[in-house]
Amino acid sequence: MFRQGDVLVVPMPREEFPGGLVPAPRDRHNRMVVALGEATGHAHVLTGERATLLCAPDDPDRLFMLIEGYGRLGHEEHGPIALAPGAYRVIRQREYFPGAIRPVSD
Amino acid sequence: MNNDIQLAARSDDWLETGLSCKPTDRAAAEKGVLLAYESAGLPAPEIVLWAGSPLDGAKLVAGLDDPGASVRPKVRTRPWAAARKELMDRLGQSGFARHWIATTRRPWRQLVDQIATPMRNRLNAHFTAEGGEPAGRCRQALLDVILGQHDAAWLGAFSAASRDDDPELAGLARVARSAGWWWAFERAVVISERHVEVHRDNLGRLHRGDGPALSYPDGYAIHSWRGMPIPPEMVAQLATLTVERIQAEENAEMRRVMLEHFGFERYLRESGAKKQHADEFGTLWRVDIPGDEPLVMVEVINSTAEPDGSFRTYFLRVPPQTSTARGGVAWTFALSEQEYSPLKQT
Repeated sequence: MFRQGDVLVVPMPREEFPGGLVPAPRDRHNRMVVALGEATGHAHVLTGERATLLCAPDDPDRLFMLIEGYGRLGHEEHGPIALAPGAYRVIRQREYFPGAIRPVSD
Repeated sequence: MNNDIQLAARSDDWLETGLSCKPTDRAAAEKGVLLAYESAGLPAPEIVLWAGSPLDGAKLVAGLDDPGASVRPKVRTRPWAAARKELMDRLGQSGFARHWIATTRRPWRQLVDQIATPMRNRLNAHFTAEGGEPAGRCRQALLDVILGQHDAAWLGAFSAASRDDDPELAGLARVARSAGWWWAFERAVVISERHVEVHRDNLGRLHRGDGPALSYPDGYAIHSWRGMPIPPEMVAQLATLTVERIQAEENAEMRRVMLEHFGFERYLRESGAKKQHADEFGTLWRVDIPGDEPLVMVEVINSTAEPDGSFRTYFLRVPPQTSTARGGVAWTFALSEQEYSPLKQT
């Protein structure tokens, strides 16, 4: 598994992908955005060769990656992470708040 | 994928419209209202009233003398349902689902979840606290509201909304591009101005430590810290906080806001926090707060050097029972301590 700031990428068996995953929609620059900072505009972006960002159709926040060639995860403030062929799931970081759990974003 | 780019661009443009703080274009908004009535087969409303904010709008609605029934189902619900059905028939179920995500995921979250719903809850609480019959009518008015610029949350799903020639959505879209929340009745319309200030954090939650996070031309404002409502008086105090003042605060929620504004790192330093544990994943800090659960935090180091060669650290609060730094970081990713083992961190 790899951590890039507030995003964790965890390898998993491809057979365990949930059914019905669809390619996650691209942004207006045709990028595969894993997470976007609303205030900073900075983004965790997947690039590569035969690298696909997938999402559950009913829950676009559940993200997965299928890397068949090679993948690279980039961000303005963090070093890039190389992703070998395989299947991955994405986990966003959260923080504890008494009485609630809140997501975080860099 | 070219289609994706177009949809994303449309979605971004509508989000910008929804967040817009530009002056209201009253003439365009009134034209949009007339168009919406016309396409719903309704006669034009007899009067159009302008409000300085949604609060003012709800009060104006409550004070209307015989406005007739709400025509929201005809001018808002029907065209939206028709446009949805047309899209669903054309794209099929899975195509529709993906299209809907591509066009509305971000605007819906940012405009409805982060702004319109919290504001509606806030207004509801305001009128509930006020009590009495007029306030009851104001609360009733909130049920009939049309979101105006915040309808940008879903208008991006329909290409027709971006063109002015489509009879179904053109009216709603035009109001959304020109004004704030509005109310439609058989004989009267009330329209609110757009907000003049919106401040958000990196997740899009209403957030500001030195003034209102959201405000309208008539002065109606919402003070909020990372999406959590705070009283305006609190904002004035935030600039001069001390450890003692924070510890003396009796309201637990306010104490937490103060703590965040003061800065966890500074609080840990100035309150004599104990380093509880350290490993290759970070440092775990703990400080007891009188009358509250202890503040337990992991200090995580970004492995990518800053331009000056230093490494930035950040603090995340974790559950009080956390006992190791690794366990703390693992918790922030919803994993157990044993499961958390990154090969690389940047």
